[in-house]
Amino acid sequence: MSASPLGATDQLATPPAGPAPMVAEVRPGRGGDLWRAIRRNKKAVAGVVLLVVFLVFSIFPGQIAPYDPTAEIFPPALGVSRHHLLGTTAYGQDIFSQLVWGTRLSLVIALAVGGLATALAVLVGVSAGYLGGATDGFLSLVTDVILVLPIFPLIIVIAAYEQNAGFLTLVVVLGVLGWSYGARQLRAQTLSLRRRDFLEAAQVRGERKSYVILNEILPTMTSLIVATFLGAALYAVLTAAGLQFLGLGDPNSQSWGTMLYWAQNNEALFAGMPLWAIAPGVCIALLGASFALLNYAFDEISSPALRVRKLERAKLQTARPTPALPSPGETSDGAVLRVEDLSVAYATDAGPVVAVDHVDLELARGEFLAIVGESGCGKSTLLYAIARLLGSPLPGEIVGGRVQFQGKDLVLLEEKELRRMRWRDLSVVMQSAMNALNPVLTVSQQMEDACRAHANWSKAEIEVRSREVLRLVSIDPVHLNSYPHQLSGGMRQRAMIAMALLFTPDLVIMDEPTSALDVVAQRSLMVQIKELQEQLGFAVIFVTHDMSLVSHFSDRLLVMYAGQVAELSPTKELFDRPLHPYSQGLLGAFPSIHGPKVRLLGIPGSPPDLAHPPTGCRFAPRCPQVEPRCTAAEVPLSTVNGSLVRCVLHETGT
Amino acid sequence: MRFVLRRLGFFVLTLWVAITLNFLIPRLMPGSPAVAMMARYRGHINPQALHAIQIAFGVNTHESLLRSYVTYLGNVLHGRFGVSLTFFPDPVTHDVLQALPWTLALVGVTTVLAFMLGTLIGLVGAWRRGGLMDSALPPIFVITSAFPYFWLAILSIWLFSLKLGWLPQSGGYDVTDTVGWTWGFAGDALKHAVLPAMTILITAIGGWILTMRNNTISVLAEDYVRMARAKGLNPWRVMWTYAGRNAILPNLTGFAMSLGFVVAGAILVEYVFNYPGVGWMFLQSVENQDYALMQGLFLLIVVTVLTAILAADVATALLDPRTRDQR
Repeated sequence: MSASPLGATDQLATPPAGPAPMVAEVRPGRGGDLWRAIRRNKKAVAGVVLLVVFLVFSIFPGQIAPYDPTAEIFPPALGVSRHHLLGTTAYGQDIFSQLVWGTRLSLVIALAVGGLATALAVLVGVSAGYLGGATDGFLSLVTDVILVLPIFPLIIVIAAYEQNAGFLTLVVVLGVLGWSYGARQLRAQTLSLRRRDFLEAAQVRGERKSYVILNEILPTMTSLIVATFLGAALYAVLTAAGLQFLGLGDPNSQSWGTMLYWAQNNEALFAGMPLWAIAPGVCIALLGASFALLNYAFDEISSPALRVRKLERAKLQTARPTPALPSPGETSDGAVLRVEDLSVAYATDAGPVVAVDHVDLELARGEFLAIVGESGCGKSTLLYAIARLLGSPLPGEIVGGRVQFQGKDLVLLEEKELRRMRWRDLSVVMQSAMNALNPVLTVSQQMEDACRAHANWSKAEIEVRSREVLRLVSIDPVHLNSYPHQLSGGMRQRAMIAMALLFTPDLVIMDEPTSALDVVAQRSLMVQIKELQEQLGFAVIFVTHDMSLVSHFSDRLLVMYAGQVAELSPTKELFDRPLHPYSQGLLGAFPSIHGPKVRLLGIPGSPPDLAHPPTGCRFAPRCPQVEPRCTAAEVPLSTVNGSLVRCVLHETGT
Repeated sequence: MRFVLRRLGFFVLTLWVAITLNFLIPRLMPGSPAVAMMARYRGHINPQALHAIQIAFGVNTHESLLRSYVTYLGNVLHGRFGVSLTFFPDPVTHDVLQALPWTLALVGVTTVLAFMLGTLIGLVGAWRRGGLMDSALPPIFVITSAFPYFWLAILSIWLFSLKLGWLPQSGGYDVTDTVGWTWGFAGDALKHAVLPAMTILITAIGGWILTMRNNTISVLAEDYVRMARAKGLNPWRVMWTYAGRNAILPNLTGFAMSLGFVVAGAILVEYVFNYPGVGWMFLQSVENQDYALMQGLFLLIVVTVLTAILAADVATALLDPRTRDQR
């Protein structure tokens, strides 16, 4: 969906915090958005607050700490009191003052190691990913080796030879060894960016490599770089504390780890002074937690899928009056599926967006219905709503309407009842079998689990049936024992269709099943689908963005635009006499093989933002035949010679 | 099994890097600690011990760096790490092998347990998106995973041993016990293992939960999970064989990477509990400047970590047919 919630805020009620940024689109130079995204995330706020407190401690220890942390001027082992908030040490030093002064070293180590490790990770990761070839091979190998070397014991070994690990040793060793995890991720990210258009464009422009890396690659990886920094900082805090606790740091330095070392040496627990150990430990844990919380929050901010958004039904604008549906002009006795007034909405940060808006359609037994439209017009959402399969990555909830199938309303059906019906009566074929087949199971295993879910067949019977359906789609049954990645693209697609026919369902829902194939394979697969349909008698709903593909196969065409039905006509009718200007535009966008040479016309502009659709006809802003009355009010569907069309040019009645 | 062979090659390469570091660090660090060490020991310990240290460091003033490196490699390959000063005149190999079972039982079992439990909780949490397990647990475990292991160890001793007196606070078994395969000893050893195991479990589990949760969430958005639902499969089947089995693959890689973190934590936990494992002995050797023992233990830790990673690789190959076919 191309929804841009930033612009939607003036229409939908939003929390006073201000416009909700589409966080997936956070880009460098738009620090404002990033800052707002952080402010909205509770974990991020907690992390920032903790970090700021420690920063203040480390910058102004003299002002905050009441006493000199090293001065052994008080009675030893005092308990908590007004003068000594956390008591005194075995040597009579004020613990609170020590904690405040100890912040500086921990924080400086964390930031220094974080900075060094991040710089190295960026250098190695991005170079490896961008340069590729032997350089990549070598750098990746080095990264992997350092990644699995146990760093902590190694640092102990070094510290042991040095007698103790001073500040510099600690920072250098931790930084030099702690970059590998980040480098690995940055390399992967760079690899995926390399083939993007904007990078190729930069190469064509003849930009220098260093320019491309600094100005084109790095800015897109801000969140990953931040994550690398936070991860390394957290790691540095814990490792440094561990070393100091062992007495391998500088024992005269002011740090939390050193405080723990003295606590352990003076047997804090047995001396009845657990606070000696608890207080510095809490500080280490809190500083670590602030980095960990920020890291986690950043993860959530950069991949919105990790957050749960609740659909606020109250904010839905479904109150829009829909005129009563004109009778389609045929009896519903032969109907295998009847969709009535179906609406689907999904949640965004800016509130609910209606993706399918009051759609009606009816499908006769054995009918082939094609749904066409540009991407983002709601055709796939409609399809999966009918099959009750909405959910990430096609988020959405049915907010109104009915789906009558086999005498039942699928919308209201319990999950358990629905499950019994699935695949036996209604099966689904998806866009890319590469993604729709489970990569870790063989074809036969995936056939088998469908069979076991719905029939009480023996292993032999399942095998027989699996072979049978594979032969139906002309695949040699030897491929039963293949994994999906071992088959060619066309074979995978056929295997999925075979799977969908295991129980010869009444309805097969197909979501662009041929779009991943080349033109020749597309054609032969379409012919095969049509033959199977005629042979076995199932009805098909076929979603595609390619009208010419279905021209010879579908009985009726449903043209969708911006979540609504624009036109529903018999296929031949629609190709000969398209009624809706959008249908005309779509037809003008495809070349005809047989017809006379005509100039191909696209449709200028793009579908509207469903978060705030235009008033009146939704196609009006792009329509070449637009009139003032188009934008005046919602346009109802009208019946014209057995076709349904939503356009003022064909408005009947009133 | 090209994949496993390649990983085996990586195992050998990394081990070689670790051995080389072991050789180079004492010789090349500023001030050449190895030579300083020799000078310090000369005259104080008997020639046999001195020779042992020379082997451990590959130090022999008459040989070139390269020659002594080759000799050192040969010694390591034959398991000759010299003689321990702490447990004189035990050869290092002997001491090291004595500590190993304790660590394998404590750290090995708890790490595997933490991985399995964490993976399970992460999977179920992500499966029930927005449920209590999904909304309450992640923030909690983000915070616990930032706890220093040793601090949690101190706290648990304070609470469970000193305040409540439920469990022993130190050692791997009661000193009055005779070590052996008896029920009494096993029970006693188990009792001593509970607190350190708990400490490692609580801090290690958070990472697995979080990564598995995030993996599962992205796998749940895959078409094959939607397809499994469309097939009307039992939700358990969808969760295990479709979501879980695919989401655990990156977690296995993550297992290899986070192992260093666990090892660091485990060393400190053994130290705090005086648990007679590899980590404790390693720190003892550091304290006693018993460098031969320290180097042997360091290599043992490296080998153990690499073996665990290799096991994760084999598991990946078993679970993912695509890795098996990789060339």
